[in-house]
Amino acid sequence: MIISRLINKRICNATALQRAVSSTSSSQNAITSESPKHRRTSLVSPSYRFMYPEFLPDPKPEWRNLIREKLERKDMLARRSKIEMPSEFYVGSVLAVTSSDPHAAGKTSRFVGICIDRQGCGLRAKFILRNVIDHQGVEVLYDMYDPTLQKLEVLRLEKRLDDKLYYLRDCLPEFSTFDLNMEADILPEGSEVPINDTKAVLKPRPWLERWERQDLKGISNLEEFLTPKMVRQAKQRETPWEQYDLMKEYRRTIPAEEQSQIYSEVYSELHQFELARKKMKRKRNIPSKLA
Amino acid sequence: MSFLIKNGTQVRNIIFDFSRLRISPQIQQTRGRTNLNRPKLKNPSWFVKKERAGFQDYITPENQTFIQEVLHEQFGAPAIIKGVQSFQSHSLIKSDELEKHAWDPAFRRTGVLGRKIGQYPLWLKDGKRIDTTLLQVVDNHVIKYIPPEEFSPSIKPRINKLNKYGCLVVGSESVDPTSLTKDYCGLFRDSGVMPKKNLGRFIISPEAQLLPGTPLNVTHFKVGNYVDVRGKTVDYGFQGVCKRHGFKGMPASHGVTRTHRRPGNIGGGGEKARVWPGTKLPGHMGNRWRMNKGLKIWRMNTQYNVMWVSGHAIAGPTNGLVYIFDTILRLRRPGLSPPFPTSFEEENKESLPVDLYDDEVHRFEDSTIFFEPEKV
Repeated sequence: MIISRLINKRICNATALQRAVSSTSSSQNAITSESPKHRRTSLVSPSYRFMYPEFLPDPKPEWRNLIREKLERKDMLARRSKIEMPSEFYVGSVLAVTSSDPHAAGKTSRFVGICIDRQGCGLRAKFILRNVIDHQGVEVLYDMYDPTLQKLEVLRLEKRLDDKLYYLRDCLPEFSTFDLNMEADILPEGSEVPINDTKAVLKPRPWLERWERQDLKGISNLEEFLTPKMVRQAKQRETPWEQYDLMKEYRRTIPAEEQSQIYSEVYSELHQFELARKKMKRKRNIPSKLA
Repeated sequence: MSFLIKNGTQVRNIIFDFSRLRISPQIQQTRGRTNLNRPKLKNPSWFVKKERAGFQDYITPENQTFIQEVLHEQFGAPAIIKGVQSFQSHSLIKSDELEKHAWDPAFRRTGVLGRKIGQYPLWLKDGKRIDTTLLQVVDNHVIKYIPPEEFSPSIKPRINKLNKYGCLVVGSESVDPTSLTKDYCGLFRDSGVMPKKNLGRFIISPEAQLLPGTPLNVTHFKVGNYVDVRGKTVDYGFQGVCKRHGFKGMPASHGVTRTHRRPGNIGGGGEKARVWPGTKLPGHMGNRWRMNKGLKIWRMNTQYNVMWVSGHAIAGPTNGLVYIFDTILRLRRPGLSPPFPTSFEEENKESLPVDLYDDEVHRFEDSTIFFEPEKV
């Protein structure tokens, strides 16, 4: 049961995840094998926790309230029904956001950039896009459920080697430069989200953060800037045992049982949106083939 | 000579006896304030011991179910009403039993007891994001009304012409009475409602009085009106100066020794030679009643009795108890009549929408906000 509660992206490789999912589904079936109503919950894809992370509340127990969470989810679904939102995107994906802006010419603005972080839960969910425009790094923080957002497109659906890409601020600009008129490359249906293993090249110090202490995999030339003292201090501050700390994991995440309960509540609506999106995609593709 | 002495002692004895009788009014001089000068504290009648001592009763399971049956017969079966665990009580209250008054801005209405259940943003129709706190009105019922003649609290609240106002005791969140004392349960006998977990007092005009047992809902307020919210701040315990008053502390290095989070100099020296009153020093932080005034109600949900109120700094933790009442700020008092004395939801149950919004608020089920381009 404890294993099923582990949902750490870093340490759970595919097999571990499968094990977690199979254990929960089997336990559910064992409990409610007779009633067909409960079997429907197994329809919820186990990948939902990565696709829609903001539907899970903050795991801090003293901040939780079930009625607030329910109301929040209702509002989120209401907003999702009114906006073209991708079913999934991750840190490292390239997004294009079209939003209403009272200060822009024509009152709409479009920004393309790489998602360097996703944070917050519920209606407070937000993400940061980064791009380099006119040799100047630009970052925009968007609220996901802001009603001034008109459209959210995923131009390139992929993941990077790290969970947060703040180090791109200290890397050479070409690693965070994306064409504003980029066209979307659509993955074939049912394919896995690819992991882009490009390693960014860091500029010399001074840096915004101590990248050597963060166990980053997406930087190619970190060692060449490090002094022996920095290496020593980084080693002192390492916490390799944390990935085995089950209690820490438990406090950091929502238990798998509760997750499946939450996602089964919103599943039907989210599935409807996904179907509608697929239909739209097909409609769009047909005329292009004819031409 | 001996006669004289005898006479003298007799006279002295008589004087002594008279002095003991204290015929003349003697004024006792008192210097300074002593303990005896303190005003006598008289707690309200509903401050009685609440929890029963937890001793084992050795009741058989059959008898336990019997007790539960009696309980449910009297107060209704357990049910979740508007998101709160309560009892399906059949209302004995007839709203037309009371004399009806037209609303007047001078009247003070009752407030309600709520819980702060969290905060999340809302957006206005002009695209602006506002932070709101969600307050839930948790299973409120009127317990008792004390008319102005009988209402004389020992600690006088700062209200002009207090003798004009009565007091309404409101309870929230029904609990199983088997865990409570007989005295506490007795407070609820006349109201016909289940004993409540929390009791609160609201000072009201006699015109705004309500019959005991009347349920209070979130529709007691109106969307767009302003409320004051009183809550008990988070108890942080004894805290230093950096956390308690936001002092900056001192540098981590450069010769600073053992004074990184200390207050530093607290004044004094020279002629003063003392600490001035009101100096910010370490001490107990939090666990005090604080009031946020003039918060706008942006939205309401009648299904769960929830209101969205502006701001995210309402005193107390999430799931903490708060008192909600009409604002005392003169310029933010309601212009039009709020539900007076309260809204009786059972009368207009069908017509009540689930969600009520202020005119400025963007509904999540509305389409995306577009700004109109300027005309040249």
